[in-house]
Amino acid sequence: MGQFTQLPSISHYTAYRPRPFTREERDRVTILYGGLTWKHERLMQGALHNLQYNAEPLPNIARDDLDAGKELIDVGACCPTIFTTGSLVNFLKREVTLHGKEEVTNKYVFLTAGACGPCRFGQYHESYAMALDGLGLRDFRLFLLAQDELDQGSNGGGGLDINMPLSLGLIWAILCADLLMDLEYMTRPYEINPGQTERVLKESVEYLYEVFRNRPDHGKKYGALAWHLLSNYFARALREVRKKWDVIEVDRLRVKAKVKVTGEFWLQTHEGEGNYNIKRWLEQEDSEVVPPPVAVWLHYLLHPTIRKLEHRNSKAKHPHAQALALHTLERIYRATYNRLRRALANLPNELPDQEELKRLAEPFYHFELRGGEGHMLIGKALHAYHHKKAHMICELSPYSCMPNTMSIGAMANVIGKYPDLLYAPIEVKGDSEVHALSRCQMILTEAKMRAQAEFEDALNKTGLTAEVIRQYEAQHPKVRSATYRVPHLGYAGTAANYVLHLARSCRLRPELSQDPNDRREGEARTAAYV
Amino acid sequence: MPIPILQTWFAKKHSAAPPIKDRSQLRVGIPKVLNIWSTHQFWVGFLKALGISPENIIFSSDTSEEQGREFGKGRGTVDCCYPVKCMSGHYGELIFGQKKKINILLSPMIHSLPSILHGHVVDTVTCTRVMAGPENIKAGFMKENDVFVENGIVYASPFVSLGDRQLVSGQLYTSLKDILNLDPDETERAVQAGYQALENFTTRARQRSREILAWCAQNQKPCILVLARPYHMDTGIGHEIEAELQAHGYPILWLQYLPGDADLMNWLFAEDMRKGRIKTPFDISDVWTSSYSSNTNEIMWGAKVAARCPWITCVIRLSSYECGMDQPTYTPTQKIVEATGTLFFKFGDLDSTKPAGSIKIRVETIVHYLAKYSGSIIGRKLSWLSADCPLPRTSRERTPTRAMADEARAAEPKQLVVLH
Repeated sequence: MGQFTQLPSISHYTAYRPRPFTREERDRVTILYGGLTWKHERLMQGALHNLQYNAEPLPNIARDDLDAGKELIDVGACCPTIFTTGSLVNFLKREVTLHGKEEVTNKYVFLTAGACGPCRFGQYHESYAMALDGLGLRDFRLFLLAQDELDQGSNGGGGLDINMPLSLGLIWAILCADLLMDLEYMTRPYEINPGQTERVLKESVEYLYEVFRNRPDHGKKYGALAWHLLSNYFARALREVRKKWDVIEVDRLRVKAKVKVTGEFWLQTHEGEGNYNIKRWLEQEDSEVVPPPVAVWLHYLLHPTIRKLEHRNSKAKHPHAQALALHTLERIYRATYNRLRRALANLPNELPDQEELKRLAEPFYHFELRGGEGHMLIGKALHAYHHKKAHMICELSPYSCMPNTMSIGAMANVIGKYPDLLYAPIEVKGDSEVHALSRCQMILTEAKMRAQAEFEDALNKTGLTAEVIRQYEAQHPKVRSATYRVPHLGYAGTAANYVLHLARSCRLRPELSQDPNDRREGEARTAAYV
Repeated sequence: MPIPILQTWFAKKHSAAPPIKDRSQLRVGIPKVLNIWSTHQFWVGFLKALGISPENIIFSSDTSEEQGREFGKGRGTVDCCYPVKCMSGHYGELIFGQKKKINILLSPMIHSLPSILHGHVVDTVTCTRVMAGPENIKAGFMKENDVFVENGIVYASPFVSLGDRQLVSGQLYTSLKDILNLDPDETERAVQAGYQALENFTTRARQRSREILAWCAQNQKPCILVLARPYHMDTGIGHEIEAELQAHGYPILWLQYLPGDADLMNWLFAEDMRKGRIKTPFDISDVWTSSYSSNTNEIMWGAKVAARCPWITCVIRLSSYECGMDQPTYTPTQKIVEATGTLFFKFGDLDSTKPAGSIKIRVETIVHYLAKYSGSIIGRKLSWLSADCPLPRTSRERTPTRAMADEARAAEPKQLVVLH
């Protein structure tokens, strides 16, 4: 035995562990969260308020957050880590100045998504903890919300109960916000009255916030699940939203390059200075952005578990039964999304088939490679290319992002096989905006030319002219409504599909033209086309 | 009525043994990169068991700038960390640089690793870049034309979870069956042989590390622990920094082969377990909760061992430029190691070029500190451990007393030690 009865022990760095957030504190404590768009965050707030939580999203990311983050975490972090850490840091600093450290540590807790995996996304909270140390706020509470469990029980003291109503509320809020986001991006570039889309969007978000805040209580477990899956509550609300969008007048003859935004999860979802406001910039540059819905990510998360079960890499007692259950769950998920889409006249984009994404990416990137969006970046690029869903892909990749750089590298092989796929990988550092945007501009120029060529091709095929279409629109104003659905007819661009749609479904013919030369030429083309 | 005897006469005869699959002439090239550095024995054992002659298993040479220039030029597809980027040179060397051509280029996508911490951590997966590296590098050799086909080489890149034994046979059989004409049983036997070879090698290496520690304990001499990823053993990536220190007479231990013997570990972590901070000596939940990544987990554990083991008086941390896995661990590892006054030196942002001058200057500094403080560090750390040291020690070595510990602390005023 040792000479000392009680040996001194070594005390060194320990991992951050939050002190409990108790049930009694719930009325006094505000839950902070962030990382998505303001639309998602507002609807999530509704779901949280519905369950009597005080909740507040962090302010949208700003350029200052990059500096604040860099000051407090280890060098070499990827920009989403730096931005999101900086955002929390700046918020806390402001609050500490106003109310003092003690009040801030007692008044707020921060809830963030945790990820299982080796990428830094799974280690964000380590950076947050380091920043809290740097601020002298080690007592501030930070909790992780796992993305793959609906019922995680009470978290550290019972103040935050991650149960079915909470998880389902947050998921449904995300789905509804995704659908609104699709509507927004497909409408704004074509709006006749500038700012109208923005106004209706805000109105819709506020309306849906109330819908979520007043969500009826159907128990803590399966009652809540059944109600969410079967109730018409959210679909009815979205139909109301659609009515608000009916009044927006759009001009779909504006020829715009359609740009599908993909990339690292946070960067592609974000709308603000964290990604150089690239979605707004693309719209200013005469493009229509196809935004990335968060719903695709949630859909993707189901698949590794399904594969594990299929490959017997599971300690489950009945892997086949569980795999079947998950397949069923996946179908229910897609059906739910489609049900909500239908309430918005099927205007928002469909979720891509995960099996197809996997199949498309297979020759270039193994589907079991984990981290980030895995094979999905390649799958989504090829999906958009084969189905003509966009003229170009803009992939947002954070500087030093580990998984993203690998799929960008593998894309070299894809481009070799499909040289006409327009692909712009944009590395985002947070502070080199001109470089990134000019790189995007180069590919965008080619995309715009393709959009124009498609439009002219559609006019040639149908024999229609802009003038004829304008006359038709004047007689049929409903086609100029934002909620008038123009189906995808084989062109990537909205304008080209619109022309083809008018010719096919609305039986619009060139004879409406007042100019006899135009009319004769048009008739000949239409005859050939028909 | 059929005549049964005819059926017997004309029935196809079953051969007594399956046809012999002669693979002795097959030449398999393996890029010596990334986690091959810690799993190479598995691949050698696996291929040998399939009948491939040892002389036909060809590893590429250590990484060098020349290798990249000669064989990897123009093959890069994206800017990333050097350990992945340099793979182009390794692929190129195996394709273009062999006098006798290889038939198969085997570059596994290693998804998870066997680890000494297995069962004590959440997972033992590899870095996302490391596991996906082969897909990235392959693109550089296929984007314009298929270089592998042009050179008569079959490219094989099995996705393999070496940390999950039950999956490995299936994964390797599925991906290699057509290339090597495998059947499930022989794949299973070869996987068994691969694990056995890896186990034998790792056990021997850990035993050697223990002998070094025993020598240090007997002679009250310090040694140095290298906290790094397996591929930093590559002279072109780790730049032989540890060899420079070894040249000054300090034994070197690598994290990957630290002895994990129960007697030694229980001695080092007895107090932590008694106080309930950890459940076992391999539990790192007290310092790292996101314990998914195998190499990161081991780095955190190695830092804890270094902080406690008396004769490890200095830690050298190696990290490559843009390493996203290392980035969140910089501060925690440094704080853990320095908490007991153990010397900590980080060589960060290592890239393709060897910064020979700055390495030389820093090595001199390290050697100076080692010479000056090792004695007191050893004394102080011993004072925190029980006298039941499982390593043999000289008779002149006494169990340290409080006075000795105080004396050691006084000799080094800037230590960040907190005693309870």
